[in-house]
Amino acid sequence: MAEKKKTYVEDIERTLYDIKNEDHSIYKTKSGLTEDIIRDISARKHDPKWMLDFRLKSLEIYNSLELPTWGPDLSELNMDDIVTYVQPDAKMVGNWNEVPEDIKDTFDRLGIPEAEKKSLAGVGAQYDSEVVYHSMQDELVQQGVVYTDMESALTQYEDIVKEYFMTLVPPKDHKFAALHGAVWSGGSFVYVPEGVHVDVPLQSYFRLNAAGAGQFEHTLIIVEPGASLHFIEGCSAPKYNVTNLHAGCVELFVKEGARLRYSTIENWSRNMMNLNTKRALVEKDGIIEWVSGSFGSHVSMLYPCSVLHGENARCEFTGVTFASKGQNLDTGASVIHAAPHTSANINTRTISKAGGRATYRSAVKVTKNADHARCSVNCESLMLDDLSRSDTLPTMDIEGDEADIGHEAKIGRISDEAVFYLTSRGIDEEEARAMIVRGFVEPIAKELPLEYAVEMNNLVNIELEGTMG
Amino acid sequence: MALQEKDVNNGTPAVTAAALAAEEQQRAVFSRIPSRTWRWLGANTAYMPEGLTDEPVTQTITVEPGQRDAVVLSERESGAYTVQADVQEGAVLDLVKVQLVPDDAPYTSRIFVHLGRGAKLNYTAIEAGAVHTASKLEVDMEGDDSQSDIWSLYFGDGESKIDLNYIIRQRGQRTDANMQVRGALLGHSEKTFRGTLDFQRGSAGSVGRENEEVVLLSSGVRNRSVPIMLSHEDDVDGHHAVSIGKMDENKLYYLMSRGLDLAAAQRLVVEASFQPVLDRLPASESALREEIDAYLLGRLSENE
Repeated sequence: MAEKKKTYVEDIERTLYDIKNEDHSIYKTKSGLTEDIIRDISARKHDPKWMLDFRLKSLEIYNSLELPTWGPDLSELNMDDIVTYVQPDAKMVGNWNEVPEDIKDTFDRLGIPEAEKKSLAGVGAQYDSEVVYHSMQDELVQQGVVYTDMESALTQYEDIVKEYFMTLVPPKDHKFAALHGAVWSGGSFVYVPEGVHVDVPLQSYFRLNAAGAGQFEHTLIIVEPGASLHFIEGCSAPKYNVTNLHAGCVELFVKEGARLRYSTIENWSRNMMNLNTKRALVEKDGIIEWVSGSFGSHVSMLYPCSVLHGENARCEFTGVTFASKGQNLDTGASVIHAAPHTSANINTRTISKAGGRATYRSAVKVTKNADHARCSVNCESLMLDDLSRSDTLPTMDIEGDEADIGHEAKIGRISDEAVFYLTSRGIDEEEARAMIVRGFVEPIAKELPLEYAVEMNNLVNIELEGTMG
Repeated sequence: MALQEKDVNNGTPAVTAAALAAEEQQRAVFSRIPSRTWRWLGANTAYMPEGLTDEPVTQTITVEPGQRDAVVLSERESGAYTVQADVQEGAVLDLVKVQLVPDDAPYTSRIFVHLGRGAKLNYTAIEAGAVHTASKLEVDMEGDDSQSDIWSLYFGDGESKIDLNYIIRQRGQRTDANMQVRGALLGHSEKTFRGTLDFQRGSAGSVGRENEEVVLLSSGVRNRSVPIMLSHEDDVDGHHAVSIGKMDENKLYYLMSRGLDLAAAQRLVVEASFQPVLDRLPASESALREEIDAYLLGRLSENE
């Protein structure tokens, strides 16, 4: 029997992301994690006393917790080698021209200022451990929308931050939540007042430039009753030969009748451990929409969680993961139905190639009082060679009888029949295979903001070889 | 230690990883899933039922090349049972397991089946008795072109606990695995079904299907479903699906419009769901089939 030929999909074009700047940081902590380092970070950031106490308590929890006993191997990560705080030689400004040249060039190459002009209502840009740029349209300021960095929020809106900060993802949640609680720096704070609709998206971009460093930004978004927001998060880093760590934390509070769309394209370098935690609490009639693309990182563990806390709360999750050589991307989603008539749709696609490992992991939990909960999960995995690995590990835990839960998953390769059909219609084989791969990720791409959909199409640059088996 | 509603405050499990780890150390483990996941879900480990030690009664079955053998295991007493079967090249094993252990007694079962080239396993299981059932099925599809066709039915009521762990390892080329599971839960019963299709490297040309359909019949039940698919081979076709919910109201409405009362209509729908599994019982076991029908009907009626 003739050997079946494989489909080759080119690695993501990374040149743009791999351009490094010289490290002009003005301060770095020592590598490792000690109480002195935590106190040092806290003092430099002029934390209030309660935040210092919070950091120290988190450190205590971090030291008491074990690494996860499931998922990717994290033994390569040695916290003694990680620098947890890197202060760039830049202060936060609201004008790109005031951002130091090399940093501005980096964000220019990534298209952030251009995107701000064209299609965004506000932009935040973080470089290493600190936010260097923040701006929002005046109209939104006048409506009472707050979009700023977390440090400013901690000063200007301390009561709000204190009320919400790490209540949804408490440090005891897992080891890297505790780490985040101890060393967090930077990130975004968004507050949308009741009834205000932010029609044009806000975007925060996180760039980690320093080798051997960690980035621990905190994103806190509160969308008050009847309000709406689309928030976009992007992140990247150049590649180094040492391990970098990203342990961010995202907490989203979607109040009664509010709507939040949270879109992320994660494109960290292949030396990055991306151990990020994202969670949304959705109240009555509220809607959370996640759009999540995972392309970069050496190792990823990322499972955005939606807690449907109020009646009729809803979650839509759309995700795509592309694991290539040297990557172990363990991604997915979890939903907790904790109120009646809540509903969720989870729709994911994964592609693995060249020895990459992609895992879809999910949890659907329906508590006893969540009668008439509905959840539909669909995950499809495409494997492009037999060096790679693709796993799906969903779990459903349903209490009571008034729930309607469906789950469906598929794993396979590009169908020879589909290629045959397309070629019989006059399309050449390479294009046929490319069309099939594009079609596979299309349900996800169409949910992305336009510029990100274009970027994703560029990222998934198809190069095909071979013929049908 | 199961995660309770009260433990989910704002989305954070209050049951700590340390507490779960301690539980694992204290209780005897019956089986594990092939790839671990979050501990707070309680899906990683099945424990030995209380009152049983892991000292099984073992039965060995060998089906010689090209032969066909039919074995019916009718288990009605509490205990730990193990079956080890070797189905050699081109052979077929028709294995039926009916578990009708008294509802106050614990029960465990481990079945290991090795399939040679072109061998086939037809497995039918009915798990309807016992206060706590822990059952594991492991099929090693080493032989090229081997097939496994697995149909299983479980029924939980009262305070019963059912813990099933089925693992199909597809190692040979062009293997074909089909896993169909039907269940109904009443009273305060709890069930966990872990079903794994594991396409190992070298299993090119293999297909695997897994499907679980669960009907939830009372507000006190708890259902966990863990359909796992692992793939180290691209040239495979794997599919799994799970459907969990209460009875289809349209079906009930239709039956009631034909004169059936609610209980009778529900009974009929459950029976229909179980039918594909029950129909696989060999014709020679008509007495057993009648006994199972009467047993299930009695249990359903008791819970009306």
